[in-house]
Amino acid sequence: MKLQTLGKRSAAVLAALALAVGGNVVVAHAAAPAYIDCQLFGAGEPDFIDPALTSTLVGANVATMLFDGLTDTDAAGNLYGEVASKWSTKDGAKTWTFTLKKNLKFSNGEPVLPSSFITGWKRAFAESMASEVAYHSYFIAGMEAYNTGKGAFPTSSVIADDKAMTLVVKMVDPTADFPSIVGHSVFSPVPTTMAAATAKVETDGTKLVGNGPFMLDKAITKRAGGEVVIVPNPNYGGKASLLSKVTFKISTDVNAAYNAFASGQCDNGPIPAGRYAELLGKWGTKGVKTTLGTDYWGFNYEDPIVGGTKNKYLRSAISKAIDRNQISDVIYQGVRKPASGLLPPGLPGYKSGQGLTSTRDLVGAQADYKRWLALGNKTPAPIRLSYNDGAGWDKVASIIIANLKDVGIPAKLDPYPADGTYFSKMRKGQGQMIRAGWFADYAIADNFLFPLLHSKSIGGDNLERYSSPSFDALINSARSSTNKSFAESQYRRAEVQALKNDVVITQTVNRGIAAVLAASTSSFPITPLGMIVFDQIVKN
Amino acid sequence: MFTYTIKRLLQSLIVVWAAVTLMFALFFIIPGDPISLKSGEKALPQEILDNIEKKYGLDKPTYVQYFRFFGNLFRGDLGYSYKNDKSVNSILSDGLSTSARLLFWGALFQLIIALAVGLTSAIKRGSLGDRIGTVFSVGVQGIPVFVSGLLAQYLFGVLPFQLGWDWLNFFKPWPQTWAFGIFPTESIKGIILPALVVAVVDAAFIARMLRSSLLEVLRADYIRTAFAKGLSARRVWMHHALRNALIPVVTVYGTSLIAIFGVAVQTEKIFSLPGMGSTIADSALSQDAPVVLGLSIVVISFGAFVNLIVDLSYALIDPRIKIESKAVH
Repeated sequence: MKLQTLGKRSAAVLAALALAVGGNVVVAHAAAPAYIDCQLFGAGEPDFIDPALTSTLVGANVATMLFDGLTDTDAAGNLYGEVASKWSTKDGAKTWTFTLKKNLKFSNGEPVLPSSFITGWKRAFAESMASEVAYHSYFIAGMEAYNTGKGAFPTSSVIADDKAMTLVVKMVDPTADFPSIVGHSVFSPVPTTMAAATAKVETDGTKLVGNGPFMLDKAITKRAGGEVVIVPNPNYGGKASLLSKVTFKISTDVNAAYNAFASGQCDNGPIPAGRYAELLGKWGTKGVKTTLGTDYWGFNYEDPIVGGTKNKYLRSAISKAIDRNQISDVIYQGVRKPASGLLPPGLPGYKSGQGLTSTRDLVGAQADYKRWLALGNKTPAPIRLSYNDGAGWDKVASIIIANLKDVGIPAKLDPYPADGTYFSKMRKGQGQMIRAGWFADYAIADNFLFPLLHSKSIGGDNLERYSSPSFDALINSARSSTNKSFAESQYRRAEVQALKNDVVITQTVNRGIAAVLAASTSSFPITPLGMIVFDQIVKN
Repeated sequence: MFTYTIKRLLQSLIVVWAAVTLMFALFFIIPGDPISLKSGEKALPQEILDNIEKKYGLDKPTYVQYFRFFGNLFRGDLGYSYKNDKSVNSILSDGLSTSARLLFWGALFQLIIALAVGLTSAIKRGSLGDRIGTVFSVGVQGIPVFVSGLLAQYLFGVLPFQLGWDWLNFFKPWPQTWAFGIFPTESIKGIILPALVVAVVDAAFIARMLRSSLLEVLRADYIRTAFAKGLSARRVWMHHALRNALIPVVTVYGTSLIAIFGVAVQTEKIFSLPGMGSTIADSALSQDAPVVLGLSIVVISFGAFVNLIVDLSYALIDPRIKIESKAVH
């Protein structure tokens, strides 16, 4: 990962080291400190750390330390070239050409070439791999057929020229945000030694070979002693890590992981639920970052009470009645901040105030509720606030129910068992007010608005079953435009339409990451995508 | 004895088969399935779900999956985790060693505590030591593991670290290297807290059992006779009284060994030990059938084995008890 946010002190250390070795920025790993992390896997083992397979944020975090993709997002939220030096399109975002940096190598010494990406994509998107994140490749022409076993790898859509160091990628439809999308870890390159590696490669770390700032230290990488250990990649072409080793301790209990930190076993630790204020007050807030995620409640647009255009005033009354500050303060103790729209701060093109309201407007709520009643509606049966049980959402729902009571709107808890069936039932239109949330896969507005509100996403993540031709048209025009400012304005208009005009969803808080850090950690960079940049951690 | 042992082993095999079949059936009865569980807050396209189903053979009829599971089982292959594709065999080999070590040290600590408290309470009946033992027995037995575990971490980890009393900080990483598979070659501190948490739950009960059993035996005529013959108190206590008092205690200890397997599950989770316990708990929640079934086979077999050993040990402790094959009927 690119070095972006080093403090002056660490920069001076690097500069001194650079001078000492004759201008090359090489860190003497033996002198660099080791780091023990109890936060990342504080709530359990990751699914995978293989970039082709991991579908979790924590697994992807390690994957991004082991593999560099064509692009990435830095700690400030900016897209930058990681293996790619530049990229361009000449046909309105239908075909993208990436030019790769020269002389980059995998940790086994093999050069990173455009064909390394083809090797990686052939592996990651193969039907037999059954990767949960392979669908990110469906933007590429012919890749869905390859992934579902209905076609061969689309060699006419992904063309590598190792001499010219270019990779040409053809899209199904114009995709202006493809340079951001391709930053997802599933698009990582792999060396030829990994071409045939199956999902079981993780049990043999010597085969999981990447081109990132770190490489795996042990052959057996998971559950061996309950830890994953990475060490600097000696062949890394970017800025070297400031740490000599990172040990990720796998914990199965957040409280135990915190206690391990508090008893001196680790350099950082997770914060158990309900103890944010106490522990951040004790250990400091250097490990806190707002990330690209939003919690919200959606209204089933097909429901006779809360759905459709005729019930807009009821939805707006509910939206105005919700006290987002109370949710932020009481439940998240300030780590998740009140949201003012669906798109979170830090996203390119973000504009605050896109939602109906970000603060509680009790008078406005009461007025809207009266308007709705004046249209001939009667006080409804208690509105069901549906949520998946066991994850603490009942507390959020209880606050909202109390908020609605102040307006005179009856509401009740509607918990669904924590057996994973909640979302599938919501997708079938069973909910009335639906608890949901979204965390960005890549830092683009489309990654929120298309899956959550486009009519093509009904049955998927459009839990509200919202269908609006004008909204769809705005999204379609934005995603095909290479004019960045035009695209951003279209996305903003779409967000306003869904949240302010149609009130399909009402946002509550923006998501955040919080960890407690030992005093010796002076810099702990986290990207807006929630990735901890371990190679940039400064430990004194 | 040999025929009896063989018959018991065969019975145990039937028990294991019935239990695993029941669990296999349960996975198809309970709501939700491992594939839909993968679609959480973000929906996975049907194409992706189909790929995953095909990969694990979940697109096949239930009976085909059932026979394939047992077919693989006979070849020693327990399948692959739906969660992370890891071989259940390797999960077992990784986790079993940790669980076995925790169980060994937990059982050893339990025995030491139970013998010390039980003997003291019986010999010094009504003394301060007996009263402390009674309070200890009643006190610790009711504390849930997740409370005692976290409390131990705080009192013997967090607090000493904050006070700078490292000598009292027993909350250390689980050892990575072992001699003879059982003895840690690094600091032993890492095993003390989890093993004690496992031990204290039933140690108190066994101690009370030993105490009452000893007191009952001490009232027996042959003990009085032994004293009358002029044998030393130590010889009477250890050779005559304790040996006879141990029979009911061994029964309880055997049952307790199976019970502390359950306690170890919770302890592994609270102390984040890479054993089978935490894996079972996580896998059950995510309906990771191959892992749960594989680990269940081990747990059920362990229970059956312990019961068999307990039965056989009666004869070793008390030669008057003989197990004959016809006695089974």
